[in-house]
Amino acid sequence: MPNIREIRRRIRSVQNTAKVTRAMEMIAASKLRRSQQRLLAGRPYADTMVEVLGHLAAQSGDIAESGHPLLARREVQRVEIIHITPDRGLCGGLNSNLNRATGRFMLEQGVPVSVIPVGRKGRDFMVRSSNDVRAVFVDMGDRPSQLDTLPISRLAIEDYESGYADEVYVSYSRFVSTVVQRPTIQRLLPVEPTELEGSLSAGYIYEPNSLEVMTSLLPRFVEMQVYHAVLESIGSEQSARMVAMRNATDAANDMIQSLTLLMNKVRQDTITKELLDIVGGAVALEG
Amino acid sequence: MPAGSKGRVVQVIGTVIDAEFPPDELPEVNNGLELDNNGERLVLEVEQHIGNNWVRCLALGPTEGLRRGDEVTDMGQPIAVPVGRGSLGRLFNVIGDPLDNLGDVEAEERWPIHREAPAFEEQETSIQMLETGIKVVDLIAPFTRGGKIGAYGGAGVGKTVIIQELIRNIATVHSGYSVFAGVGERSREGNDLWHEMQDSGVMKNTVLVFGQMNEPPGVRLRIALTGLTMGEYFRDREGQDVLLFIDNIYRYILAGMEVSALLGRMPSAVGYQPTLSTEMGELEERITTTKTGSITSFQAIYVPADDYTDPGIVTTFGHLDAVISLERSIAEQGLYPAVDPLTSNSRILDPIIVGDEHYNVARGVQQVLQRYKDLQDIIAILGMEELSEEDKVTVARARKIQRFLSQPFFVAETFTGREGRYVSIRDTVRGFGEILEGKHDDLPEQAFYMVGGIEEAVEAAEQLASEG
Repeated sequence: MPNIREIRRRIRSVQNTAKVTRAMEMIAASKLRRSQQRLLAGRPYADTMVEVLGHLAAQSGDIAESGHPLLARREVQRVEIIHITPDRGLCGGLNSNLNRATGRFMLEQGVPVSVIPVGRKGRDFMVRSSNDVRAVFVDMGDRPSQLDTLPISRLAIEDYESGYADEVYVSYSRFVSTVVQRPTIQRLLPVEPTELEGSLSAGYIYEPNSLEVMTSLLPRFVEMQVYHAVLESIGSEQSARMVAMRNATDAANDMIQSLTLLMNKVRQDTITKELLDIVGGAVALEG
Repeated sequence: MPAGSKGRVVQVIGTVIDAEFPPDELPEVNNGLELDNNGERLVLEVEQHIGNNWVRCLALGPTEGLRRGDEVTDMGQPIAVPVGRGSLGRLFNVIGDPLDNLGDVEAEERWPIHREAPAFEEQETSIQMLETGIKVVDLIAPFTRGGKIGAYGGAGVGKTVIIQELIRNIATVHSGYSVFAGVGERSREGNDLWHEMQDSGVMKNTVLVFGQMNEPPGVRLRIALTGLTMGEYFRDREGQDVLLFIDNIYRYILAGMEVSALLGRMPSAVGYQPTLSTEMGELEERITTTKTGSITSFQAIYVPADDYTDPGIVTTFGHLDAVISLERSIAEQGLYPAVDPLTSNSRILDPIIVGDEHYNVARGVQQVLQRYKDLQDIIAILGMEELSEEDKVTVARARKIQRFLSQPFFVAETFTGREGRYVSIRDTVRGFGEILEGKHDDLPEQAFYMVGGIEEAVEAAEQLASEG
């Protein structure tokens, strides 16, 4: 039979864990609200950007022939992946799901793959599975500005332009809702603007001309996409952590309950046993 | 004191009987007395002299029908049972009468069941491992030839099954003699065992003694001594290596507890007899290996309410060389034998005796399982995902090891539907070693469940894979 002191010690340790997880849940909840706002605030800009690019593409005819380096399709000899993960754990299956999805994607490529991990968890995974790590970005914080993500997109653009990589992907956890985060892998480069329906594409005159606007717009588009992926990743992280920590707190409380029950049982058993001994002894002495 | 002095019953309290003798003809303590109880012979054993020429006795049989004034006769010596080759192949009760309807026992000698334990200088501890073919036992709690081995466990976790598997694996290949003492267990099991031993042809080298649940406490208190005395004869006179199986030693303690208060002793902690450790010592100290021969004993020990701190259990611990403890939580997972690798141990799990490889593998297995146990709280609260990669590997291996520790038994074929497996110690150590090294990290954990050697696990994995 386990002794009471041992059980009490375990209860206390679980209680402490529960306190920590509850605090983390609350912090994650408040952070989630903020990152969700940022995410939502960025969406109209992103949508408009896609729209404008679509217009431009429609106006400048066959974009593949426009000769812009970010649109150039080449035979794929090397793939680069920007792997965006949180810096910290304790967020349920978020990290391992994304790492697994990205790992599988990398295996499917059939050509050499370099990784640019963003965030510690992704870095650790990539280093451990001995992948070709091109560069590492960590300590992005909870509220990165586009300035913070700029070096990432710059590096990707440079690598693409220089011919080091022939395709660039970005992998991150997409924030679908508080309870659903989906590992997502998107192609970043070459850019493939979605052509819009002809009726919408008419009526704009670009100065000096559409090609030049597109040339300056394309790097922005890539930068914006990377930044957006980072925001998505942060939103996912916070919501995943909130849910994970809530589950952990519940599990800890369940455990405290069953341990308390056990402790009381043991305690009563001990008392009963001692009582029996005393009564038995007393009766024996009388007899 | 000469045999034949007569006395009279003066008091009957259940199974304890007081008799009065003439002042200078009192029987000695431990002497047997006999009386005629309405045509049935009843044997008593003198326990105490309580004054006024009264002796207090323990009945080794039913006391129904006794009355004050019945005449008792001193046998002049303690109860003696037939020993030697004549006893082989036979089935006895506590006073050495055959129970198998095979006629009289042809024994030249009868030995009293109360004997001195061998003296210090006669004792010898040969240190040699005894292979059992049970993976978890050989790995974690290797048995010593001539040692004492206890199988602890609560109700229904498989003590008797383990003892019977040991009988099958060891007694059937063992060339010497075996003695099985059934102490306070199910009569049905005794019957099954008798028939099984006849079928497997080992009965001719075996003595069975039974004092099962249906018998009065006096019988259950002395039956182990009866069996032991028969074993001692082969050890001391014939210099044999004897196997002694006792199922269940706790019933011996319990019987002592039942009669203790009737004998007028004040109960001690948890109601046990105050003479608990003395009684235990009287039995256990005789089960030992001497210069002439050896007794290797296997004892099943029932743990009341799964409480290992129970005084009755604690008293037996100290006497044993190897302890295998059966754990309910493991049996509940369907992992048989439900041996707990973390609390089972053996005196000879020592690199000097079993070799470095065996020692390291056994300790490695325990480490991995201990780590898994430590991590279980974290897993329960935070989930597997939060473990570090290293710990995830540890957990996966621990779960494989847990399953690989299970093994189909020959005697349990009817329950498991699987044919039993005997695994040699070399295969056992190699198998666990390979799991620890990570050679089988890619196999699914079900593949390790209820198999023999590691090759079978690999085969099972292939089969699982082909089934999709």
